[in-house]
Amino acid sequence: MVDKHQAVIDYLINCPNILNSPLYFNFINAEDNTNQFLTVSNDRYTNTHYIDGSVGKIYTFTITTFKSTADIAVVKLPNYPNENISDMTDIQGLIEWIKEQNELQNFPNFGEDCIVESILPTTDEPTFDGIDEQTEPNLAVYSTTIQIEYIDISKRLWR
Amino acid sequence: MPVSPINLPTHQRAPRKLLITVAEWTEGSTEKREVLGRRTEDSSIEYNADIETTTDILGINYTDVNRTQPQQDFDPYLILGGSELAAKLNDIRRRNAIEELSQFTIYIITAFAGAAGAYEAEKQVNCTIAYNSIGGDTNVNMPISVYLSNDITLGTVDKLSDDFTFTAAA
Repeated sequence: MVDKHQAVIDYLINCPNILNSPLYFNFINAEDNTNQFLTVSNDRYTNTHYIDGSVGKIYTFTITTFKSTADIAVVKLPNYPNENISDMTDIQGLIEWIKEQNELQNFPNFGEDCIVESILPTTDEPTFDGIDEQTEPNLAVYSTTIQIEYIDISKRLWR
Repeated sequence: MPVSPINLPTHQRAPRKLLITVAEWTEGSTEKREVLGRRTEDSSIEYNADIETTTDILGINYTDVNRTQPQQDFDPYLILGGSELAAKLNDIRRRNAIEELSQFTIYIITAFAGAAGAYEAEKQVNCTIAYNSIGGDTNVNMPISVYLSNDITLGTVDKLSDDFTFTAAA
């Protein structure tokens, strides 16, 4: 049976946002420009049971991204980017990449017992979770939750 | 013909997947089969019995079942890649060749009765599969109704896959 966590990580590593900054699994010693892969458990009562024995399931995970903060006001000057806005735009890239892969039907490989139907972020923009003031420099914490819908056909009688 | 016992441990419930409806038809000289119910959460064979009850002067009821008109609805019946039956029905729909809807053989396999390698089944010929609508929201849905003919041959199937062999009961 395919390890779905590893399959998703192998998939995400193709995303430039993930490839260009360190990705940690569940545990992280947060620094600027690091990503944390957080597993999320889904209640099995959300599964959809079909009459042929296959089961519709959802794999959910959250990518938390840490970015150093800039205590600089946003000003209306051309060619004067604000670091905080640039960071937000950078993180938005992960969401856009996931959406693009979904359009291309390019999904993580969950093995022959699963048919992946979609991969989509639950929001169109990353969530700003707050500032971690325990670090130096302070880190802004952003998160993006992504859901993979798949059909588990391992218990299906009729292949 | 003896009655086959339910082949499950005592008090164990029969999983829904053990009641299987299979459609069979021919394309040219090729026989095609497809199990019905992919991505369908709930579907039952409705017998639509015509029941007549009379009460005598003593108040006793006498009930007759005059006939059944079995029918099984599949909603949703999603258009799925690789489905040859969906392609067949869509072709009939486009040509409005509704007379071709009544040329299906339907197998009802009760895999909870009989033994491995000899699952009880019934074969019904000249059944009708009607498409009820096409459309939906996120995915294309073409709900269908299967109308069983009651032209029944009892028997068994040797396996639960498309290449099963149906053996009529002696």
